[in-house]
Amino acid sequence: MHDFSNDFDRVTPDVWMLNEASWNERLVQLPNWQKIPLINSNTSHNLPDGSLVRFRGMVQDMHNPEFFFEQFEVFNTVTNEIKNKSGKYTDTAHILENEKINYTENLKSAQRQTIVVVSMPGLNEWAQTIEDEQNHLEHLHHQPNTSKRSNLNTKLKRSHDDSDDDQSAMDVENEGGANKERRTAEVVKNTTMVVSREHLLNFPLPDVASKSCIVKIYDDSDNLKINDMIEVVGFLSVDPALSGEFQAEKDPLLAPECESEAEIITHNPPPSLVPRLHAVYVKKLEHCNPLVKGAPDQEMILKEANTAREHLLKALKELLLGDELAAEYLICHLIACVYLRQDTFTLGQFCLNISNMPTKKYPDYAKQLYDIIKQFVTKSYYLPLTVDNMNTMALLPKKDYDCNRLTSGILQLSKHTHLVLDETKMEQGNLDASGVNNISALGNLIKLQKVEYDFKYYKMEFDSDINVLVLSEGKSLLPSDYHIPLRPEESSLQIFDAIVEAATYYLKEEIMNTIRTYLTNLKLAKYSISENLQFVEDDFIEMRSNSDSDSPVTADDLHRLLVLARLVSLSRGHDTLSRECWDLTKKMEEERLQRLKNRAPAL
Amino acid sequence: MAMRDYASDKEGFKNFFIDFCQTDDEGHKFFKYSEQLSKVAHREQVSFVVELDDLHDMNQELAEAVMKNTRRYTNMVSDVVYEMIPDYKHREVAAKDTLDVYIEHRIMLEARNHRIPGEMRDPRNRYPAELIRRFEVYFKDMSTSKSVPIREVKAEHIGKLVTVRGIVTRCTDVKPLLVVATYSCSACGAETYQPVRSLQFTPPPACTADECRLNKTAGQLHLQTRGSRFQKFQELKIQEHSDQVPVGHIPRQLSVYCRGDTTRRAQPGDHVAITGVFLPLLNSGFRQMVQGLLSDTYLEAHGVTCLNQTDEGEMAEPLTEEELADLAEDDLYSRMARSLAPEIYGHEDVKKALLLLLVGGVDKRPNGMKIRGNINICLMGDPGVAKSQLLNYIDRLAPRSQYTTGRGSSGVGLTAAVLKDPFTGEMMLEGGALVLADQGVCCIDEFDKMAENDRTAIHEVMEQQTISIAKAGIMTCLNARVSILAAANPAYGRYNPKRTIEQNIQLPAALLSRFDLLWLIQDKPNREKDLELAKHIAYVHQHSMQPPGQTRALPMKLVRRYLGLTHRKHPAVPRNLTEYIVSSYVELRREARNARDVTFTSARNLLAILRLSTALARLRLSDMVEKEDVSEAIRLVEMSKQSLQHVEENVQRGISATDRIFAIVRELAGSSNTVKIADVIERCVDKGFKPDQVDNCIEEYENLNVWQVNQVRTKITFM
Repeated sequence: MHDFSNDFDRVTPDVWMLNEASWNERLVQLPNWQKIPLINSNTSHNLPDGSLVRFRGMVQDMHNPEFFFEQFEVFNTVTNEIKNKSGKYTDTAHILENEKINYTENLKSAQRQTIVVVSMPGLNEWAQTIEDEQNHLEHLHHQPNTSKRSNLNTKLKRSHDDSDDDQSAMDVENEGGANKERRTAEVVKNTTMVVSREHLLNFPLPDVASKSCIVKIYDDSDNLKINDMIEVVGFLSVDPALSGEFQAEKDPLLAPECESEAEIITHNPPPSLVPRLHAVYVKKLEHCNPLVKGAPDQEMILKEANTAREHLLKALKELLLGDELAAEYLICHLIACVYLRQDTFTLGQFCLNISNMPTKKYPDYAKQLYDIIKQFVTKSYYLPLTVDNMNTMALLPKKDYDCNRLTSGILQLSKHTHLVLDETKMEQGNLDASGVNNISALGNLIKLQKVEYDFKYYKMEFDSDINVLVLSEGKSLLPSDYHIPLRPEESSLQIFDAIVEAATYYLKEEIMNTIRTYLTNLKLAKYSISENLQFVEDDFIEMRSNSDSDSPVTADDLHRLLVLARLVSLSRGHDTLSRECWDLTKKMEEERLQRLKNRAPAL
Repeated sequence: MAMRDYASDKEGFKNFFIDFCQTDDEGHKFFKYSEQLSKVAHREQVSFVVELDDLHDMNQELAEAVMKNTRRYTNMVSDVVYEMIPDYKHREVAAKDTLDVYIEHRIMLEARNHRIPGEMRDPRNRYPAELIRRFEVYFKDMSTSKSVPIREVKAEHIGKLVTVRGIVTRCTDVKPLLVVATYSCSACGAETYQPVRSLQFTPPPACTADECRLNKTAGQLHLQTRGSRFQKFQELKIQEHSDQVPVGHIPRQLSVYCRGDTTRRAQPGDHVAITGVFLPLLNSGFRQMVQGLLSDTYLEAHGVTCLNQTDEGEMAEPLTEEELADLAEDDLYSRMARSLAPEIYGHEDVKKALLLLLVGGVDKRPNGMKIRGNINICLMGDPGVAKSQLLNYIDRLAPRSQYTTGRGSSGVGLTAAVLKDPFTGEMMLEGGALVLADQGVCCIDEFDKMAENDRTAIHEVMEQQTISIAKAGIMTCLNARVSILAAANPAYGRYNPKRTIEQNIQLPAALLSRFDLLWLIQDKPNREKDLELAKHIAYVHQHSMQPPGQTRALPMKLVRRYLGLTHRKHPAVPRNLTEYIVSSYVELRREARNARDVTFTSARNLLAILRLSTALARLRLSDMVEKEDVSEAIRLVEMSKQSLQHVEENVQRGISATDRIFAIVRELAGSSNTVKIADVIERCVDKGFKPDQVDNCIEEYENLNVWQVNQVRTKITFM
């Protein structure tokens, strides 16, 4: 029997290029993607150079395009043979010691894109675990490197071995050079570049294990954007010689070159840390929930919505100390996403501010709440809003011209990531300039769903779709779309620790998975509003005329109501706005506004 | 494709340099290139610039060939110039540097050694051309060719002349780059020359002179720094402008190599336009060994021009055909006004006023007196009527602007502070928001919350457009040519129409009168308007787009560029309009006296009308103010006054537009019985009525038999 996956196991760039179209076609139809090793879950050092692998992540940075030789001639000085080779899908030329590249003629150069992809920032543990399970390839972990190689056909093996020899020879040489350089550098200026792992990986979130890849894309279309979630299938390139640390010494007088040492090292990290991937296929991902597969089935989603909602509501209500209204709002928040963007106008954002946290009794209440929420959502990040954090953290991505790359910041997140800001941790103190900047960046994110990246000479706004949840004691200092003070029940307040325990017990893996699927699916579900919106219009006019001067009803309120109505309907499994849902929405808002007016005393 | 006949091209260049001449206004012929040649020959000029525009006029085909294969033609022109130089050399040239002396010596020596009769040998031939040529050839791109976005500079541009624009993000020090290495042999003393064409080179292993070769001594070579030729070399990195980057992409960069005269032209942060040849660069050393398959690319600069500041650079680009068509579609004035903060529904007159603020009137300086052209606007209104949103939007849109809040900024923060340098102890001036926003807009939110003494600092700025400092021994005057856009909340929470403005927002009249327009934005429930608004919002949510009936908002960038264009115009007020303006002003004054006016009508209003009308003329890109501009300006002033009185009128009188027009007609008629309709319309439009309202009124009263209209409808006669 013809085994597809096995085939893909052995394909090499040369074989691939012989018949690109058919390989591509077969790849797209491949029934078992999982068999292509995913290097998020399987470490790259167990895979040989030039094998087909997958990587999943977020586009973090885009470098300048590279020009490479698509076709070139190799001249063998011993046999006087001329061979044609291609530089596509590879970084190294794989030439023998006695071979020479003909740089003067019969060269055909082409352009390829280089992007930096980092594993999904904020991907929660459960999602990672499930993904690992799904993509774990047993054989990769048992076979040592060499025996894997013997699986490959003999012809390829030779070329690999040859190049290996070649490389090791080169390594020695280069290392010598590097050492020398280090020595001289120490003597002269003491400017040895030792860069940290974190610097090379450049992950948006601190203290999170991550992987990154440099992906080279051959297809010319420019449809990839920064912060897109993608899955790449490509040839792995982990030649250790690619590392910028092994760099020959050069004479500054004779070779004035603009690339600084810092730049070379950051752009050529050791491949063991940051593998190179020569993409043959790039897929944009709409979500990265491993539980949701295939195209969303609208009907199924809506049908199952109510059961999942029940579970979620029950759990959240308990966790929010018996406050059902807050739980309803939190559900809406969890399924919200930006669905319309026009010039300066964004619809769908749902920044929720839950105030009146019972911090007196449970100082870590916000964190505990987050610990549960992160069990539901695929991607999230918890950021305590302490003065210290605000002053020291880099929230906004910034272009680093020394290293010529975009240094990531916490707000560089892919879409549908939940950012939980814990304001209960805020204490009195002074915000310095960067602190003020960070706060206003958060404010802009909440209001406009845009993040301003700093390019030093100018700033550029990038659209984002990040759900922000602010947990605070009083009304948050950050703006929010919906603000609801928590109204805990006295009885629940006493036994909160028990509730948490009970909740973890209640939320069995099966129920959790239902909820997780529900949250992701609803973000992807379609929703429409029927033509007849008479009741909405009438209500608005009535609200306007009844509004008092202190809190006038404005156009924003109607926008807000309609967004909420959409989420209320969707969460209940309706894909269109009905009268009932509209009334329900109005009731929720009324109750919320009522609560805002006569605030309960702080707990 | 047949090989080009390069010999004939060479001939073509020769003829072009000799023949090309321009005739200036006085009929003198000016041989541009001959002039350059003789300058180059006398070492008065290093760069020899060939303008492709000129070449295109003479020899179109050659110019196109140059653009496609610039590197080759650079060398060719270099050869041609070299050959032609001796003919243009009229006098001895004093040696300028050691290399000149060195070359002269060698040439003389050579000539002496080779005095074999009959051998006509040019002694310069033995030396590499690069060593002896002391000039550099540059091409200047055609003025018609468009700049290519850095993103679009691709493989197909290799070897071609391209012009790119960008911002310099990094530039190296200017370093000497070896062009020709001269070695002397330790054994035989012969000199060896090695032209260096790339960034790196390998010195020759042994002497190749005849003597050494025959004797097989293999003498050691030593590099002679003084005999070698170096060239200034600098590498720049330029990055795309933010407006060239597609949404969601990271700006790209490009390396530029500058040699000789093109170095030291730009600094990091400068906006530049660079013409150059796009070339691949082979890696060598480490990179060649490892990544033998990659080639870097760079742009070899032929010309580096610094563009002025950000905004002007952006504006410099003329509008494209499509954009012009887009702008010309329909009524530009109201369309642009509507494009301001499109997310805020309604408030058209306010937006029109804000648009005029961005355009600005014309400054006038009659006999040293200075009359500002900047328009100041104050928005007042109940909380939650999108005042801050409007301010924010203007702040984002204006090319130069500062945003502050009254509460957060002290007078010092607004104007300028004198600071003591902690190290030197010297006094320094640090500009505040108003100084930083010079020639721009300063948005001040919560204007009313500002402390009294801070507010006084603004008085001077608003009329004289300067800031005088007399502090700590520093006495100076800083320019603050800003338009002020202020937003204020009423003193007691809500605007009370029964009080005067001063009482309502607790600002002194002196300050208020400095605002050209004061708007009171109110948000009153109104069944009709609310329904419209609700329908609008519902439509957006239903169809995920703006309703089609509305004109599409213009993109912010286009508005900004158009505003840039308007700033180039300086319209004047024609003499025949002055009377009209004067009479309108007198009318305003009279009305203010009669009615229980809450605002003031002072001479400043007259200036405001002038400013607004020049801004309107600018907006039309016209050099002359027309009557329509003036009447629109008066209408805006009138509307702004009405917005303040609005509430009162509705409560007390409840008079419809028709009634008010009737009153105007009555007044116009005075004692006589007939009134010209043209006069009626003119007066009514001044007061903020629309012509069709006037028509309706005339018709209605005609039906009521109050008056009669003659057959051609030009005259009204009261019954």
